[in-house]
Amino acid sequence: MVLAQNSAEGSSSARASRGFSRELVLVVCFLCLIVLLGVTAFVSRMYHRRVHSLADHWFEQGETAFKSGDAKKALMDYRNALAFSPSNKMFQFHLALALAADNQLPEARAYLLPLLSDAPGSGEINLALARIAAKQSKMQDAMLYYNGAIYGEWDTQPIEMRWNVRKELCDFLLDSGAIMQAEPALIALADSTPEGDLGKEKTVASMLLKGQLWSRALDEFKAVLQSDRGNPDALQGAGVASFQLGDYARAVSYLSRLPKDQPVDPQVAAMLQTARQIESTNPFLTGLSVNEKAHRAFTALSLAEARAQSCIAHSAQSGAPASASADLSRHLASAQDQERNWSERNLARFPDRVDDAMTLVFRIENSAARLCGDPTGADQAIWIIGHNMGYTQP
Amino acid sequence: MSEATTHSAGPANQPQENPGIPMQFRSIWQSWTGRIFALREDQFFLLLAVLIGIFSGLAVVCFRVAIEWTQLELLGPSLSPSVARVLLAPVIGGLVVAVLVLRVFPSSQGSGVNRTKAAVYIWDGYVPFETVIGKFVTCAIAIGSGQSLGPEDPSLQMGAGIASKIGRSLNLSQEKIRLIAPVGAAAGLAAAFNAPISAVLFVIEEVIGVWSGGVLGAIVLAAVSSVVTMRSFLGADSLFRVPELRVVRAQDLLAYAALGLVAGGAAIAFLKWIAYARPRIERLPYWTKYIQPAAAGFLIGCIGIRFPQVMGAGYSIIDQALHGQFSWNLLLVLAALKILATGISFLSGTPGGMFAPVLFIGAMMGGAVGTIEQHFFTGLSGSIGTFALVGMGTFFAGFLRIPITSVFMVIELSGNYTAILPVMISTMVAYFISRQFQKVPLFDMLARQDGLVLPSIEEQRDQVAPVVEKAMERGAALVFSPSDPIATVLSRSESKPDAPLLLQHRREWRLLDRATVKKLSEDKSRTYTAADADGKGPLPILFPDLTLEEALQVVEDWPILPVVNRADLAKLEGVITLADILRAFRNTRPE
Repeated sequence: MVLAQNSAEGSSSARASRGFSRELVLVVCFLCLIVLLGVTAFVSRMYHRRVHSLADHWFEQGETAFKSGDAKKALMDYRNALAFSPSNKMFQFHLALALAADNQLPEARAYLLPLLSDAPGSGEINLALARIAAKQSKMQDAMLYYNGAIYGEWDTQPIEMRWNVRKELCDFLLDSGAIMQAEPALIALADSTPEGDLGKEKTVASMLLKGQLWSRALDEFKAVLQSDRGNPDALQGAGVASFQLGDYARAVSYLSRLPKDQPVDPQVAAMLQTARQIESTNPFLTGLSVNEKAHRAFTALSLAEARAQSCIAHSAQSGAPASASADLSRHLASAQDQERNWSERNLARFPDRVDDAMTLVFRIENSAARLCGDPTGADQAIWIIGHNMGYTQP
Repeated sequence: MSEATTHSAGPANQPQENPGIPMQFRSIWQSWTGRIFALREDQFFLLLAVLIGIFSGLAVVCFRVAIEWTQLELLGPSLSPSVARVLLAPVIGGLVVAVLVLRVFPSSQGSGVNRTKAAVYIWDGYVPFETVIGKFVTCAIAIGSGQSLGPEDPSLQMGAGIASKIGRSLNLSQEKIRLIAPVGAAAGLAAAFNAPISAVLFVIEEVIGVWSGGVLGAIVLAAVSSVVTMRSFLGADSLFRVPELRVVRAQDLLAYAALGLVAGGAAIAFLKWIAYARPRIERLPYWTKYIQPAAAGFLIGCIGIRFPQVMGAGYSIIDQALHGQFSWNLLLVLAALKILATGISFLSGTPGGMFAPVLFIGAMMGGAVGTIEQHFFTGLSGSIGTFALVGMGTFFAGFLRIPITSVFMVIELSGNYTAILPVMISTMVAYFISRQFQKVPLFDMLARQDGLVLPSIEEQRDQVAPVVEKAMERGAALVFSPSDPIATVLSRSESKPDAPLLLQHRREWRLLDRATVKKLSEDKSRTYTAADADGKGPLPILFPDLTLEEALQVVEDWPILPVVNRADLAKLEGVITLADILRAFRNTRPE
């Protein structure tokens, strides 16, 4: 039926159109085209205006939700915004941030990669990609994108942003245990830290400490202490850095200045105690009298013998074979053989014997540590002295 | 051409003297129209193709805006609309569409592709202009209200309708009017898809079926001008963003072949369902047609409460699938539900196309298969987006049976060739599965169900035209050179009394008359040669690879024709007669 109807209409239409010249039809066509162009332009402008206002509305809602920490709602709002403005790069970027915040990392990356190819120098996009890579524990990618962000373009506060990204990179590397890779990043961070900014200096110094760059950390903490002599964080950091550098007197000096009314980190308290013990037991400190040296060496020897005996006994009790404690037993026997030569009096009379006595002390502590675990208290202090002198490996 | 000349030269068509019009303007006008109408009709047709492209592009822009606007008003501006909207919008939209289709725009029913084909093969290029308006209004409401249909097929038909109207108004020749509908169809589809190459290929592969030089230029021009027009209003962005594609290793192609198997199977299931259900729904009482779109809308609304992604054309959802934003089980659910929803919408008679839903289903299926494969074979290199993209082309090829368009569509949409190998492999697998288990392609099946006897382009492609080589007789003729003594000619001809006698001189062939040969041999007054026998000719020559249709055109009244070698025109391969040709035609009846 439709076919017949169409055929009939076709023939009548053809008849009707035969009455007009081509010129007239073409003119009418062009007039229609102009009218249709105008209508289309008007309609599409109206439509785009509506769509843009809707897109902006959804985007604003998304921003509000994202700032309030509701990543899921922000995600939906951003998606709605993008539905109306699919090519809007800002919307895509914010959706990617929301996706990343909601742990939808591959999808977030899928949005960010095309954006990066459009703007490879964008600091923001590089940073977002770096954070995703960091969350995915992709070390190489993260470093690549972090560096892209550091050397990239930032619309506002570029210096501040670059410093923040460097700090974030250092945090990531330190948290990942990549101390070696962190070292140059930490040094660059310290170098880019503005002088006189106590907060940043303190932060950098703490990170240097975490990165085991003791000397740089100590310098940074000293810089802080020059401006704020009583700053507890700086005192603590400087104390720890000094301790790690083997400067126990300075460590004691810094750590003992910590305010007494504030709770102290137990590890730092233990460090202070150890530093004090090292200071009080180390026979090699300069400025000690011969008698004091002999007294300290004799005390260390007694402590080492006691540690060896208790360790051997403990080892025997735990059923370990005798061969396991052979080294320690041999060192203990040597110490006992030299008991007369290394009496406090003889050590004072013959100061050159102090070195030999202390060498044996360090050997005993080293063997005991291998057999019975790390020492504590005064033994630990002696062990650390030995380590600093190259005898033991704590 | 003659028509154009008449128009340009005829005094009846000269502008009338009008003292109110300045002389300068009149001379410009005369010069302009003179140049335009001095063009041959072929050239004028190309110019017209550009005009049709611009009109179609503008129409498609308005159409897409109308769909989006309707969707905004009915379903609201959120990707997750409220339950009330999801349930009510498609039902109300369905009721309105049913009334409009049945009462106001009856010509807007049916597939746009088949209507355009019918215009070419049945209605002399006539596509009623009401169809353009009808498709515009009804499809905008249907798709905008959430029916699971796409805007491509209606756009194609709108383009064809616009082209037909312009062609008829300009009194083009019948041949051109017949060809103008596919030109408009390509323009409409190109603008809707934002993919001119795919549109051109589709129209050639599915509507016209032949690479005719005369129409190809016009189709390309129309497609390009419509896309340019559309882009100037809606932007150059693709319908969906295609993610970064990874280069595929040779062994990964097996994974894509598996995708072809799955997509081919799903396409078969979908096709079989439509083939089975459509005639049965058509047989329901007429009054049910008023409620079928609303009922379909209700069912789709029910699905949409939990899965709003299946409503409408779904381009934004394809975008998400391409970026791996769905889990494999959600992708599978969406693929299955989209098949269901699209089938319901289509079977209810709601006007709209199936291209977008088919792409949707393919993307979901590709993403799901890719995710599952990557779970079991962790070394697979393609991203989920690559699988989704390939899946689109694969399901498209399996369901619509247009493999070349499918491959190029994926390349055009993705904008790079990285996916070419996977998409070729999986598309071909899906296509062959679909052909194996569903003999009649979708568009042919719909046409037959509608009572339209349209030529099947796929069948035409499959037909191997019988060639001269099959019909010719080898070694049946005796060949002589002009210097052969007539006595030799006679003696050889007597040894083969039924063989035709051919005289070959350089590249020319003549037929010798036995009676003349005999007469000359009896004349002893002088020595005659074959050249003296005054053969009939020169005979037209044929080649073994020519089709019998081509041979028929040259055989005319010649009793026999030589079939010669293309490399050596003096070498006879065989001879052929009209009887041989007709016998060969009889022996090559289609299955």
